[in-house]
Amino acid sequence: MTPALWIDDVSFAYGDRPALEGVRFELAPGERAALLGHNGAGKSTLLRLVTGLVKPASGTVWVGDWDTRAKSPAELARRVGSLFQHADQQLFARTVRDDVAFGPRVTGVRAGDAAGRVERALAALDLEAVAGQHPYDLPPPLRKLAALAGALALEPALLVLDEPTAGLDRRARRLVTDALSARAEHGVALLVITHDLAFAAETLDRGLVLERGHLVLDAGLASVLVDAPRLGRLGLAPPPLARASTALGLPGLPVRERDVAAALVTRCSA
Amino acid sequence: MSAVVLDRVTFRYPASATAALVDISLVVNSGEIVALIGATGSGASTLLLVTAGLAPGGGVVGGELTGEVRRDGRAALLLPTPWTQVSGMAFTVWDEVAFGPANLGWPRERISESVDRSLTRVDVVHLRDRDPGTLSGGELQRVILAGVLAMEPAILLLDEPTAELDPAGAALVWRLIRELAQEGMAVVVATSDIDALPESVDRVVWLERGRVRTSGTTRQVLAGEDLWEPDAPGSTSIAGVWRRAGLPGPVPLTVPDLVSRAR
Repeated sequence: MTPALWIDDVSFAYGDRPALEGVRFELAPGERAALLGHNGAGKSTLLRLVTGLVKPASGTVWVGDWDTRAKSPAELARRVGSLFQHADQQLFARTVRDDVAFGPRVTGVRAGDAAGRVERALAALDLEAVAGQHPYDLPPPLRKLAALAGALALEPALLVLDEPTAGLDRRARRLVTDALSARAEHGVALLVITHDLAFAAETLDRGLVLERGHLVLDAGLASVLVDAPRLGRLGLAPPPLARASTALGLPGLPVRERDVAAALVTRCSA
Repeated sequence: MSAVVLDRVTFRYPASATAALVDISLVVNSGEIVALIGATGSGASTLLLVTAGLAPGGGVVGGELTGEVRRDGRAALLLPTPWTQVSGMAFTVWDEVAFGPANLGWPRERISESVDRSLTRVDVVHLRDRDPGTLSGGELQRVILAGVLAMEPAILLLDEPTAELDPAGAALVWRLIRELAQEGMAVVVATSDIDALPESVDRVVWLERGRVRTSGTTRQVLAGEDLWEPDAPGSTSIAGVWRRAGLPGPVPLTVPDLVSRAR
């Protein structure tokens, strides 16, 4: 099976400042990867490469069987839905619904089909009630959800997201977790930059760690989240449930709320 | 000594049918850290703008306010996304951090001292000669925080100060907030980082649709079952997993709490 994304020995520099060096990994359809690392480790650069906004200095970024060098960002948007950190800069239409509809329209989706995609995306993030409002009349967290809905409406094979939960409240974070999990179950690959390791634990299952432009770790996310010394060296820390799991020595070191709760029930009734 | 007093404050944005804040009374003392929590649209950001004297006023936000807002000393506000607060008029991080103090009309030596001290405190000295436009989101958030501190406020108002930061950066900011309070600053921080609160703040105010739903010590507010209502902000991850497991109270809030209960 062709990977949804193949980063093949990719390097990139801003002028003489290297941002990524010799990075390689593959992402299969339906895989859910967290991209972790310090501020400035090269995570956002990797997202720009995948969306075709910049091209690799060496190596190749493959989105399915497309070399990003041969495609414009607009063409790549048929396969890659993206959410950037400055999410509110992605919005420009007069209503949330028009904004979410923009991607399907410019990537050549037929009108009837596009309308369905837009409504599914709005519903997934519970945005129907604000769909007629101007994006800039919404508070920043809802603007972020609107931008994410725009990425979902492309119904792409790959979603690359930069901090999708920053500033979101509990209810909105759960909507994001549920929407992304549902897409992944239908074969969409996820590559998510996040510092929100509690969200990552609930939503994702593979951990890719970048450090100063190098991929230094590629492992199961749960094993990464309980490895306090390793995370500590990367400027990260295990989320509370991973710390609790480790401190109590819960069997299998679970990191998701459901699994930790079940282990606690067993522990406390013993 | 009270640094901030809000007395029955109601605030309505221009052309808005409903009030963003309704009958809010709040006292924050020097040396105290108060967290504002609530779902999106709860009014926490508006409460910070009102406390800063920027809504209405300052030529920034219009609107209609009733009740009274009193501040003892200069207030400085950190906005939720750093890109909205960068001056756009500085070519280096040092000049960006100096922008606020320069606008206060301070002599050059005082500006210089305050900027250097703030860069050190927020651990961004290494960025001092960089162009702010080339910084990552987390770097820029720390630079903007340095600019806020360089104005030497008595009242520090922070809107989601850790949202763009990695865990190490977030931990640094929470530690710094505690140090600043110990030096006598009054701190009000709107945050969705509930897990940080038990070890970082003295009191919590839960806002819901512009009103105070509950306020009290961090422990009192975060142990409440009502925080798990569908539109409520929730409590800590540890309180959440304890509740999901259906275990009896008192609810642990932190990992050490949980370990002592479940060992």
